[in-house]
Amino acid sequence: MNLLVAQAQQIEAPQIDYGAIAPLLVVLGAACMSVLLEALLPKHQRWAVQLVLTLGTLVGATGALIFYATSERPAQGVATLAGAIAVDSPSLFLWATLLVLAFGSVLLIADRSVEPGGAFVAQAAIRPGTIQDRAQATKTGMQTEVFPLTLFALGGMMTFVASNDLLTMFVALEVLSLPLYLMCGLARRRRLLSQEAAVKYFLLGAFASAFFLYGVALLYGYAGSVKLSAIATAAAGTDRSDTLLFAGFGLLVVGLLFKAAVGPFHSWTPDVYQGAPTPVTAFMAACTKVAAFGGILRVLTVAFENTQWEWRGVLYGVAVVSMVIGAVLGLTQTDVKRMIAYSSVAHAGFLLIGSIALTPEGTAPGVSATLFYLLAYGFTTIAAFGIVSLVRNSDGEATHLSQWAGLAKRSPIVAGVFTFLLLALAGIPLTSGFIGKFVVFSAAIEAGLAPLVVIALVASAVAAFFYLRVIVLMYFSEPAPDGPTVTVPGAFTTIAITLGAVVTLVLGLWPTFVLDWAGTGTFLS
Amino acid sequence: MLDPYLPLVLMFALAGAFALFSVTAAPYIGPRRYNKAKLDAYECGIEPSPQPVVGGGRMPVAYYLTAMLFILFDIEMVFLYPFAVAADKLGLFGLVEIVLFVATLGFAYVYVWRRGGLDWN
Amino acid sequence: MTPTYYLLLSALLFSIGAVGVLVRRNAIVVFMCVELMLNAVNLSLVTFARINGSLDGQVMAFFVMVVAAAEVVVGLAIIMSIFRTRRSASVDDSNLLKY
Repeated sequence: MNLLVAQAQQIEAPQIDYGAIAPLLVVLGAACMSVLLEALLPKHQRWAVQLVLTLGTLVGATGALIFYATSERPAQGVATLAGAIAVDSPSLFLWATLLVLAFGSVLLIADRSVEPGGAFVAQAAIRPGTIQDRAQATKTGMQTEVFPLTLFALGGMMTFVASNDLLTMFVALEVLSLPLYLMCGLARRRRLLSQEAAVKYFLLGAFASAFFLYGVALLYGYAGSVKLSAIATAAAGTDRSDTLLFAGFGLLVVGLLFKAAVGPFHSWTPDVYQGAPTPVTAFMAACTKVAAFGGILRVLTVAFENTQWEWRGVLYGVAVVSMVIGAVLGLTQTDVKRMIAYSSVAHAGFLLIGSIALTPEGTAPGVSATLFYLLAYGFTTIAAFGIVSLVRNSDGEATHLSQWAGLAKRSPIVAGVFTFLLLALAGIPLTSGFIGKFVVFSAAIEAGLAPLVVIALVASAVAAFFYLRVIVLMYFSEPAPDGPTVTVPGAFTTIAITLGAVVTLVLGLWPTFVLDWAGTGTFLS
Repeated sequence: MLDPYLPLVLMFALAGAFALFSVTAAPYIGPRRYNKAKLDAYECGIEPSPQPVVGGGRMPVAYYLTAMLFILFDIEMVFLYPFAVAADKLGLFGLVEIVLFVATLGFAYVYVWRRGGLDWN
Repeated sequence: MTPTYYLLLSALLFSIGAVGVLVRRNAIVVFMCVELMLNAVNLSLVTFARINGSLDGQVMAFFVMVVAAAEVVVGLAIIMSIFRTRRSASVDDSNLLKY
């Protein structure tokens, strides 16, 4: 009792480096403002005001980030808020990636030209299948709460990649997940499908975060602290029980791998990607992946670097399972959104290779490679889902692959861009996907993971087959007479797709700038 | 030895005395009116909702909404306890932070209020 | 009374919760099992706080409680919305999303 009183007396106010966490504060502050606006504005003004606020926030946060990154700052980064948040070079890179990817996603979310009124339901409380539901499907107007939810999710993701202790990481994990669960269930059409996706994502996500949390508790018991650096220090000593360390590590990693949709923990991915509104799928596929792998990289390189020989074999196996599942099950899919979902499982395997590429000398060549891969993959995915949202028939998006037959004859431009994006996902040269795979595999070879690279190359070849199958279907089949039409997108979706496709091309031709930037620094330890 | 627990014992004694006093005094000083509402089952001080024959006696959806809002706002207050313990050490900084925290909850409250989350129907 | 017993109890509760998630069919019950897992972790956290002689674990338990409450709210809202359509909260009925 007296011990605890004594401890409470030692508490003091933390130092806060406001400049370093300004982007985070801007995003979360704007999210709160957005909730307030949602409460106070009349219905017809909400969409426009929310959109301006959201895009303005993303631009403002990026500005604050650039200002801080170019100003005088410690080269190894700073730990602020009593060491809870680490703002170092990888953090800044991941923040910039998240902000720009979120910008593209918000454009897709806000679009009202492809689907009149937007891809989101007018009122989430309307029961699917009723008269009111059929009426809302054609009515304009949407549930504008999507914008604050997006901002909260983004704030959670940014906190997640910069969190320097496991408790902050857990809270950030929930802040990013809870809005996403809700957003999954808000599709305007195929409501029941969308709600089912939300239930599945929620139940499995909550299950996984419970595992993550138990891992945190065991590591706290092991190290006496949840700071990543304290865990590393404790693991360097030998007088403690390894059971707690490795049980904690295992449970923690299960939670992280679930969020990243890796290997055997991917079962939610295809269902949720298919059921969620396509703009939300784009946001999830791009930004959640970046956030989850940002967290995995930091945990593995900062807290568990000196125990790598104990866990590397396990994650080695997980990466293999992930690539095989993604590539083989991707072959059997008949729905384009599910196919991209399995492709993301395969990509998660490649990213995991980069994440475990640590050398015995304690350097991590995989970090900068993985960061580059995440950026490249995110842009390609957003553009790909943007294209998916354009191919429609009378009851919404036509996602069945058979409906995509002969698409090149209906719309050569859309088919052309989609072909380019699929080639990028497959990793064909002149696209960012090729450079990404190249740098990740080189890092893996440097870290002595050559057999894993061979397996990855085989998996890439298998995966390339199902991308090529879609391309062949689009170009060399006759279009069905009652097939879907390709909607001419408005400005927002056009900008998002163009942004994604152009970045994919530019990073494929001149990757040096971004590669240098990704390699400027290491995690603060 | 027992010094730190003395206020606690006093608190218990006071609470017990108050309860005893209220219960014994009520029949003597309160008005006596018997009506239907008084004989009904007690349900949070409002009229008991009718139990439907089919559907296994489900509660109206409004209960869920109120319960969810209650849980949310109630449990956030847990952070006030650690703040109270360290309030003197944190000084102005702690005060500003806790006001910001409550203000954030206030935003959520305004949202719920304006959107009719607090109306029973 | 050594604190280890509390750790064992916590592990037991966590396992009961995990098994419950896997075998129960009602979404609400599945969800309650997840909450059981989170609260089992809370027990671990305060026990470790006791063993380590530090306050951190107790404060962490506060955070977990708050996060769990937020999760309850979001979860119940999602389950309720699908229940209103289907008139059933069984996870076996959610079968539209299949290959």
